[in-house]
Amino acid sequence: MAFINLQNVTYKYPLTKTPVLQNINLQVNEGEFVAVIGPNGAGKSTLCYALAGFVPHFFKGEISGTIEVDGVESSKSTLDEWVLNVGLAFQNPFNQISGAKYTVFEEIAFGLENNGVPREEIRPRVEEAMKMTDISNLADRSPYSLSGGQQQRVALTSILVMKPKLLVLDEPTSQMDPIGTREVFGVVRRMAEGGMTVVMVEHKMEWIANFADRVIALKDGQILLEGKPNEVLTSDVLAENGFGISRYTSTAREAKKRGLWKKENLPVTLDEAVEGFKLG
Amino acid sequence: MHERLSFYVKRNSVIHDLNPLTKVILTLALILIAFTSPWYWTPHLLVLVAIIPLSFIGKVAPEFFRTAIRIILPAAGFLFLMQAFFQPVGDTVIFKFYFLDVTQESLMFAFRNATRVIVMVSAFTFMLLTTHPSELMSDLTRRGLPGQFAYVIISTLQILPQMQAKAQTIISAQRSRGLDTESSFLKRMGSLSPLIGPLVFGSLAEVEERAIAIEARGFTSKKVKTSLHEIPDHSSDKIIRWGLVILVILSIALNLWPS
Repeated sequence: MAFINLQNVTYKYPLTKTPVLQNINLQVNEGEFVAVIGPNGAGKSTLCYALAGFVPHFFKGEISGTIEVDGVESSKSTLDEWVLNVGLAFQNPFNQISGAKYTVFEEIAFGLENNGVPREEIRPRVEEAMKMTDISNLADRSPYSLSGGQQQRVALTSILVMKPKLLVLDEPTSQMDPIGTREVFGVVRRMAEGGMTVVMVEHKMEWIANFADRVIALKDGQILLEGKPNEVLTSDVLAENGFGISRYTSTAREAKKRGLWKKENLPVTLDEAVEGFKLG
Repeated sequence: MHERLSFYVKRNSVIHDLNPLTKVILTLALILIAFTSPWYWTPHLLVLVAIIPLSFIGKVAPEFFRTAIRIILPAAGFLFLMQAFFQPVGDTVIFKFYFLDVTQESLMFAFRNATRVIVMVSAFTFMLLTTHPSELMSDLTRRGLPGQFAYVIISTLQILPQMQAKAQTIISAQRSRGLDTESSFLKRMGSLSPLIGPLVFGSLAEVEERAIAIEARGFTSKKVKTSLHEIPDHSSDKIIRWGLVILVILSIALNLWPS
């Protein structure tokens, strides 16, 4: 039995005509790291919301099919129960800061307070979570005085402190500079290595190639391709369908047409490209 | 970015150790007594024997006096002048200023009202200086204030400066493309109106995201909320609170008593 199990999920936002998700079937095993890619409007964020329970509990709208995580069906649960198992973080770190707290430490404790965790448990859990994401030094700062990368790590820690079984990330680094991106990816990688199930929407192909177990390519609310990162990311189908692809892949593809790329597979990362071009 | 987004000053004092609700009641009691006590000199006395000493006991005197000199006194002074000149009471004219008569009665009236305002604003200032806003809200929530209500108040306090900064960014961005912000008032109003759209709609979208973010952390959970900080509530707090309530009742009763 898969940890995440989506059966024929079709979903329409209220007051819209076309479904954003169409007949999605998806199984993810426990501990798996799945990356989701797709052009704008492909339904990536909606898929995240569906996994995190916000579709349909928060956004309403019409949904058919079943969403199951860890054997529990979303439609039979409530949002406040669902979020205990599934954590969600998204693009804009600023909007994920609650605004109700004055220090990073209090901010991270917010979710535990809401869920009635006893006081003597809160402090050690917050400290442990901050250690995991390497932000212990920010504990007494105001969450609003931090850089984007730091804020995003605070937002992630605020979710991780609740010990979810599944972590859903919707382009957490899209508004980060290279330093912020590295900080956030570092945390996500540690979580995945620690055995947490992660579903992550991401555009940075090289990063996906290095760390994801599986890639799902969404287009127009449907799964277009699914498979191992290198197979999916170098597929001709992606380039033909308007997906953003790695510059090393597109360069090597051109080179292959001219007979300059000798290997069978196209590269995604710089290292693979260097190695491949050395052969030629 | 400014680190401190509230008035709160962290110090170790008897006042800081009081329960937040006690400080709220203290503030309200000071204000109510200043406005209802029939005795003329009550508000003046409250400033001298209650608020100023309290600011020393609470170890926030420097911050308190800074606020008083910068904001409270100018506002009260202005109010005093307005009322002294324009209050048409009494006949004992002290001096004339063109067509305006300043009478002894209007001076007395203005002096009391201005002092009442000083009591009101400085009592609030004192409370804000010595009470951590999130502790106040946790305490009130624990006593039955709806969590959503507390959240709205406290997040507004924090998010307003952020929105101001955002408005400033939008204005600067438009100025760099030639937006007129320095000519006549009407022209400026006209050129600012197209900026309201992005600010308002942008903020609405932000509100939805923030709602998702706090729901993802169990904000609407039906479980009884706990609090990271232990909020003090000693038996002395209860005694102070009831004492203050009795004083207020006395003051109102004396005011209503037919004399």
